[in-house]
This record gives sequence, C-alpha cells and structure tokens, in this order.
Amino acid sequence: MKRNSFYIKSTAQISIQQPLCDDWMENPVWYDSNYVRSVEPDYKQYILPLEARRMTRIMKRSLTTSNVAIKKSGLTLPDAIITGTGWGCMDNTEQFLDTLCNEGEQLLKPTLFMQSTHNTISSHIAINTHNNGYNITYSHRGTSFDMALFDAYLQYKSGKLDSALVGSHDEVTPTSFSFLKKMGLVGCDDEICGEASASVVLSSRTSDTHSAVAAIRIVYKPSASEIHSAVNQLLADAEMRMDDISAVMVGISGNKNTDKPYHDIVDNCFKDKTILHYKHVFGECFSASALGFYAADCCLKYGYVPDFLYVDKSHGMIGPPKNLLLVNHSDGKIFSFVLLRYY
Amino acid sequence: MDELILELKNEIIETLNLEDMQPEDIDTDAPLFGEGLGLDSIDALELIVLMEKNYGIKLRDASKGKEIFKSVRVMADYIEKNRTK
Repeated sequence: MKRNSFYIKSTAQISIQQPLCDDWMENPVWYDSNYVRSVEPDYKQYILPLEARRMTRIMKRSLTTSNVAIKKSGLTLPDAIITGTGWGCMDNTEQFLDTLCNEGEQLLKPTLFMQSTHNTISSHIAINTHNNGYNITYSHRGTSFDMALFDAYLQYKSGKLDSALVGSHDEVTPTSFSFLKKMGLVGCDDEICGEASASVVLSSRTSDTHSAVAAIRIVYKPSASEIHSAVNQLLADAEMRMDDISAVMVGISGNKNTDKPYHDIVDNCFKDKTILHYKHVFGECFSASALGFYAADCCLKYGYVPDFLYVDKSHGMIGPPKNLLLVNHSDGKIFSFVLLRYY
Repeated sequence: MDELILELKNEIIETLNLEDMQPEDIDTDAPLFGEGLGLDSIDALELIVLMEKNYGIKLRDASKGKEIFKSVRVMADYIEKNRTK
C-alpha cells in the first residue's frame, strides 16, 4: 500500500491568540509589544489541581493541547508521541540554575531537577495519557517541529506506525527573551516574540479528515540550486506540479535578519505564487512553525485564507486552498518544506 | 508548638504548590501520604529539602522519613527536638 498522505485528524493550540479554538481566523488579537506570553485557558477544566501543582506553564500547555487533540481525533492511543521543543522547560531550568547559585549548589529542589530537561514534555504526556509507544523529543531550534513531523512521516511511510501525536512546545521567559533580544534572534525590528504549544494527531485513517501531509523535505545548508531541487523532489513525492500549489506559507516575522532567507527563496522559487505569512499573528519562537502548520491546516479546513495572512495581493486572492506549501528555516541553515493537501 | 505547626503548614503549601489550600484545610493529625493530603514520593524529597533548608535537619536515613512525615504534628514534634536553626 502506498502511504504518501498522512491524514490530519485534529489539531490544538495555545499561543498568543485565543487558546484551544480557531477564533483567530475571524478575530485575531493584535499586539503592539515585541514580547507577548501565551493566553492561558482555564486549566482546571483539563488537568486535576493535584496533578497540576507540579507543572509549569509549558507542561500544562503541552499536556492540554495534547489531550484536546487526542480527544478530538477519536484515537485514544496514538502509536507514537513525537515532540519538538527548542529549549524545553525553560522556566524550570532558570529556577534550577537560580537555586544552584543561591544555595551554593546545596539543597536543590528535586522537582526542578527532574523537570528541567527537554524530554520532560514528551514523557510527561506519555505518562498522563498512559501511552507506552514510541516516544522521542527533537530539539533543533526553529525546526524542532519540522523534525518531529518528519520522523512521524517517515515512520508512517515505512509502515512502522499508523498514527502519531506530534507537537511542538516552547515557552519564552522574560530572562530568555532579554538574552535572545540582545543576540538579535527575536523581538527585533517589527517582530513579535510569542510562545507556542501546538499538537496534531495524524493517522492513516481517512475518515473525519480534511487535510493530509503529502510530502516533507528537509535540507541542511542548501545552495539556491539545492533548494530548487528539494522543491522539485517534494512535488514529485506528492505527484504534484507547481501549479497545484495554491499558496506558499513562509515564516516571515518582521526581523530583517531572519526574514532574508525567506525573501531569497520566494524570489528564486516562488515568484509567481501567492505568499502567506503567520508570525505577525502568532509571534516568533522555536516552535512557531508548528503554529504555521496549524494555521495552514485551518485554511484547508475552513476553505479560505484570512485576508491578513497575505503578504501581498499582487497575485490576487486565492479561492478555497487545495494544497499549501509551508517553508521554514532555522538560522538560515536548516530549511524545511512541508506540503499539505486538502482531502 | 501551635506556632510551629502553622508555620509548617504554610511552608508545605508553598513548597508543594498546593494551590487553593489554606493552613486550616490541612488536618494536623491526618496522614501526609496516601490518604489525607495524598502526597507522593517526590513530595517526600521536597520535604526532606525543606527540613534541611529551613531547620538545619539532615535526614540521612531515608527510612526514618516514613515515621517523621506521618502527620504535620509528628513532623513539627521532630523538628522541635532536632532543629539546629
């Protein structure tokens, strides 16, 4: 059986937009600040208070989006939990390091120690959902989600799994924001630094679905011709032509440094295509591409692209999108191309 | 002793993030683990750190913990007898 399309059963997000819903499509929340933290739902509806007491924000967010996505998907036990995170449990890490300094490396709090690693998130989801399947964490800065999705897709294609919970989660604490800003990595120029927690359940089952991952390509330090080649291979994998792509969604955020690779790719490969963006709505962080995936899936699900997602309308507005190509990069080194197909 | 019990309850609430709980919600004589407050093994580690940090008590024999953490009253009694700060 040919397994090219990995069907998207459900998604859930907690971000700087209204959480756990798709309200942003009609009523996006706009911000004037360079740094915005996630809008939190009422976690008491999703997590028992006694369980929640030991969880920091990122753990509550990741568990909630995972549980909501699993519930919506109708699959109680996905074959795998594959998680992306750039910096893991940053808040706990900071608190742990603070304690380390303040207490002279004595009397360290065990909870902070245990929950300051990157793979805390994925293992925590597994424990909570009683899932003993394949569980792994990818930490590849801005392409963490893409790597997690790629792993799920490859394993699906090779028949090793039929379903997966893929998510990417990052928190940006005030301290880490100040460091990243000083380094010119986030919150520069017109960019909004946000936070992201997005979960998606993918399955081989075609019922109750509206879209699928059709192909993925990830390339490292590619030349312009290698990017061309990767896009052509991607289209060949999905048995599509360039004309089949309704629009290209890129990670332009307003930061001149990190936007340049996107402008170069658009100029070299997608001059005649409609270009969309999402980071002005959801903000930038290491897991932002997971929200790009979620936003593209919403466009396919609802059959339209909100006006504010167009970078410009020189190519006119598109009707109900059929296939959307997501382009993401991390530090101008790792480039990912994810093709979503309307089903 | 009553003052120490109240102080201890506040510290337990803060250390273990027992949100929405007040000192009066903790029964002084109820078991801290299992039934009663329903704490677990990670909480036990947090309480060991709390005793050392706040009262200078080093609990070297982990098996003693079961007896010491029986209830807030038992814990307060042990602290009063063994505290170094």
